[in-house]
Formats: sequence, structure tokens, C-alpha cells
Amino acid sequence: MAEELKYAYYPGCVSQHMTRETNDATRLIAGKLGIGLYDMPRANCCGAGLLTDYDYKLYLALNARIFAEAEAMEMDIMTICSTCLMVMSAANRDLKRDPRLLEETNQVLAAAGLHYSGKVEVKQLLWVLAGDYGLERLKEQVTRPLGRLKVAPFYGCHSLRPSDALGFDDPEKPWSLEATIRALGAEPVEYRGKTKCCGFQVDLVAEKTATKMTGVRLLDGKRNGADCFVTPCPFCHINLDNYQGLAEKSVDERIDMPVFHLSQLVGLAMGLSPKELGLSRHLVSPERVLK
Amino acid sequence: MEIKFSIRRHDPMDRESPGPYYREYVVDAAEGMTVLEALLKISEEEDPTLAFRRSCRSAICGSCAMTVNGFARLTCNLQVIPEYEKMGAMRIEPLANHRVVKDLVVDMAPFWEKMEKAAPFLMPAGGSETSPVTIEDQARIDESQRCIMCGCCNAECNSLEIDERFIAPAASAKAWRFVGDVREGHQAKRLERLSEEHGIWDCVRCIHCTQYCPKDVKPLKQIESLRSAAMKAGVLDNPGARHVEAMADSVERFGRLDEAAMTFKTLGFLRSLGMIPLGLKLERHGKMPRPYLFPQIMEIDEVRAIYDEIEKKSGLKPKKEE
Repeated sequence: MAEELKYAYYPGCVSQHMTRETNDATRLIAGKLGIGLYDMPRANCCGAGLLTDYDYKLYLALNARIFAEAEAMEMDIMTICSTCLMVMSAANRDLKRDPRLLEETNQVLAAAGLHYSGKVEVKQLLWVLAGDYGLERLKEQVTRPLGRLKVAPFYGCHSLRPSDALGFDDPEKPWSLEATIRALGAEPVEYRGKTKCCGFQVDLVAEKTATKMTGVRLLDGKRNGADCFVTPCPFCHINLDNYQGLAEKSVDERIDMPVFHLSQLVGLAMGLSPKELGLSRHLVSPERVLK
Repeated sequence: MEIKFSIRRHDPMDRESPGPYYREYVVDAAEGMTVLEALLKISEEEDPTLAFRRSCRSAICGSCAMTVNGFARLTCNLQVIPEYEKMGAMRIEPLANHRVVKDLVVDMAPFWEKMEKAAPFLMPAGGSETSPVTIEDQARIDESQRCIMCGCCNAECNSLEIDERFIAPAASAKAWRFVGDVREGHQAKRLERLSEEHGIWDCVRCIHCTQYCPKDVKPLKQIESLRSAAMKAGVLDNPGARHVEAMADSVERFGRLDEAAMTFKTLGFLRSLGMIPLGLKLERHGKMPRPYLFPQIMEIDEVRAIYDEIEKKSGLKPKKEE
């Protein structure tokens, strides 16, 4: 019997409220798949990329605090947010590469009575499914295959880059999301924008850039035949779904594209109901593609 | 090994010519042959009308930057066979985010205009001619000095794809070369200009610039350094800096992101009112961010102790200039 997969679970801030449907769906599918998710009640925000602009050493120390908690739990971290993945992985890379930096960071952590020795790995749900758990095992859990639904995989930026900090997939030729879509019985759609940015980092800073970027990505997938999108990142989901109305205005075209969180698409194929998966929380209703 | 090259052709100046279109060429690729060598072979042996730039063939002049299989590369240091074996194709296109002059040649004028905006020269303060420069001072700007101005980062820049006025990574990295120089005397003025609309805060942090820079300049890191320096210099009256300040404040107070407060603090009262229609939609779906909805994380004192420690070490809190 395979050893139980156990992770220190880091949903990220945005999945605890605004996109909490992906947190709920993740807990549901993990329960059904037998993946152990253990909460991190002390974990702070990773900084979402913004704290590097504020102070690099503060960003390192705050992320090291998260790692110290996982280290005390003797587990690697699993997150469902690509931005948290990127931010934590980049901090972890820097700390592991440079013993002097790790030592300096530990001097800061000592003020809070903490220590990080550099043993933790950070993963995201997509990697856990496509890597640790395995897509053959996942296929065995599919009770309601997705009937060749044409799904545009939207990796976004932070689940692939910087590849020297992440490393699981290939940024030029990624496979994990497409392979997961196939394992669920659906058909992945190929399009150029799948590894590009949704624009969320500048939603409040350069709104026109953000909404147009979202619109361009959605149209790219739509014109290549997608019935819907799936993304492993809740921030991408916010832009692709919540901001789709604004995106339509910026590209002057009706898009009407349902966008699933990865956990929801997996849950649907495992027989969970749209209600259990929180699909009614989406601004663009996925009802028409589920018939 | 025979490899099929699919090359984008287009002559926008010739009104009679079709375009753009892809023409295929078969190249007998030897072990170690670079993409540039293959293009030269095509040009010399099969089609002299194919236009492309090249010069040094040693990855130092930057002339031969093109899009290969969807990503910006220096063709003189990219080998044909490993690339083909990885991607299963050999599709050559001009650099993205640049206007095509002919075939694989792009107009670099906007690139140089952005570079000029970064004022790429030192402006020392009076009397600094003999300023000492330590190895550590030098190291801060080493990466940004490696730039060969090939344009790969700008071609991959997701913000520039959408907003052609965006300063983009190449000029930003160049700006850090001077802002980060201890001999420079006009840091604050430079940082104010760089913080304007279409400036450093419009970068979406997609990391493509850093991933595809052939010289490891790490333009995103240089943009982060500029943003951090701008905040520490008190250049705070812009949405980007307010956004970061709001995040730092939110984490210090609650240990987590307070989405509602972030919106309000970044946009200010009047612009926040403009978010009401979207807010109502979000509310109907239970997604409206609420201020102070969540309790503090457990052991928030540890987070505050970290802030205090960093502040003691580096004087963290940015202060507005008098």
C-alpha cells in the first residue's frame, strides 16, 4: 500500500475568502483521494510578490517563518495558489543556496524564537496530483469523465517561472495541466497565451493593462476552441472570472467563458456536485458546459 | 539530421507581397549547429531574400535575437538539434512586441527611446569625482551592467504586449545600473520619473524577462530594487507604492492580506467608489472582500517581532521626503 501523502496545507490568503470555493473543493478532493492536508494556523501571508518591493530581507524572514512552521510539522508545504508557490519557492531557493543568507535570516527569526534549517519543499496541488499522487491513480478515481469537454489550460506565470526556483514543469513545454485534463476525460486546448500573465498584479495599479491582458488571454483560448478554462491559481481565477466583464469591455467583445479552479474540475470528474464545489460562486456561470 | 524550419516572412513595405506567411526550409543540421548558422545556410544556399540581423556570433552583440518556438532567444547560442528534440518543431519568428521591418528584422527605435528615457549616464553630485567605490557597491549593479540590449526581455514582457508605452524591463534594468551606483547624485529625481504612469509599477511580475534574458541580468530583480529604493526615498504618492505599503501594513497588523483595505488604500476614496458596480456583483456571489473579516493569525507577535528586528537592522519604514 502506498504511503499516505501528507502536507502542511497553505491555501494562501485569497483562497480563504474571495475564492474560498477552491479551498473547499481542495479539501473535498483531498479527502476522497486520501491526501492528508494539515492546517498551518500560525502561517502568515507570503507577501504575494509585493513584499520583495518593500524589503527583501523582511520578505525572506516572513517566508522563513512559514517554513519553520512546516519544518516543526515535519512536512512539506502544499499550496493551491501559484503566486504563493512562486513567492515561497523563490525565498526558499535563495535561503538554501546561500548559507550566509540563511544564517542572517535565522538571526531575524530568533527575535521571534524561531529557526529554519532549510529542509522544507514547497509544492502546489497540480504538482501533487501530477507528480506525488500520480495521474494513473487519479484516473482510477474518475467516476464521471468530463466527456471531451474542451478545456483551455491556463498556467499563468507563477506556476512555471522562475524555473530555477520551481522546477517541476517545463516553462516552454509544460505538460502537467494538459495531462491532468486528459486524466479527467476532457480535452486540452492548445493556445499561445496559456503560460502568460492574467494581469492580476496590476489590477489596482494599472487597471487598463490588467483588464486588457485578461481579455486577450480569454479570447486567445476561446478562438482556439475552448469551452472553458481551468487554472491552478486563484489570482488568475479572479481576473479570468470576476474581472471578465471588465475584460470584455477592454477588448470590446463578448467572451462568456466559464473558468474552473483546478480543484473543481477534478472534483467534477470525481462525481462531486456543482453545489459541493461552489460553482455558484463564479461570476460567469459554468452551467452550460456541464450539461 | 534533416530538420524543417518554418520561418515567418513579411515585407510590410512591399504592398504587392503577401504577408505575413510561413515558408518552410529543410536544413541538414550538424551536431552543434546553431540556429543562426542554420539561417545563414538557408540564406546562402537557398533563399538570399530572407532578412535577419546578426553580427558577433558570440552572444555578446545581441543582434540575432529572435523568437524561436515561441520564446525570445539569441539564435547564435541556441543549438538546433537539442531545441528541435525538445520542442518537436523549429519555428522562427521576429521578436514579439516589436514592429516588423522585414522578415526577422524588427524596428528597435522604440527600444532605444525607452532606454533614453532611463537617462543611461551617470549624473554625479557636485564634488563626487573621487567617490570611493567598494566591491560591495559594485556588486549591487553588476547584474544590470551585463545587459547587451538584445531586446529579448522586452519581447517577452507581458505588460509591454498590452501597453506599448510601458517602460519595460530593459530600460528599467538600465535605470537600476545608475540609481544603484553610489556615485549617482540624482537618485530621487530618477525614482520619481520611473514611478510615473507606464513606469516601474506597471510591471506585472510575470518573470518572463528574467527567464529569457540570455545574460542573466534578472530585470525583474532590478525593477524590485528600483521599487524598493523609490519607497525608501519617500516616492510614495502613486498607486504602486500605496499598494505595497498597504500589503506591508496588512501583514504586520493581521499576518495576512486584507483585500478590502488593500483596495481602499491603493485607490483612495474616490477611485474606490468606481469599484462599486463590480463590488455589487461580487457581493451577489459571496465574494466581496470585507475589511478585517479574519482574525489575526495565531502568534501574530512573532510577525511583529520580525518587523521590529528588520526595522532595527535596516531602518525599514519608508519616510516621506521633507
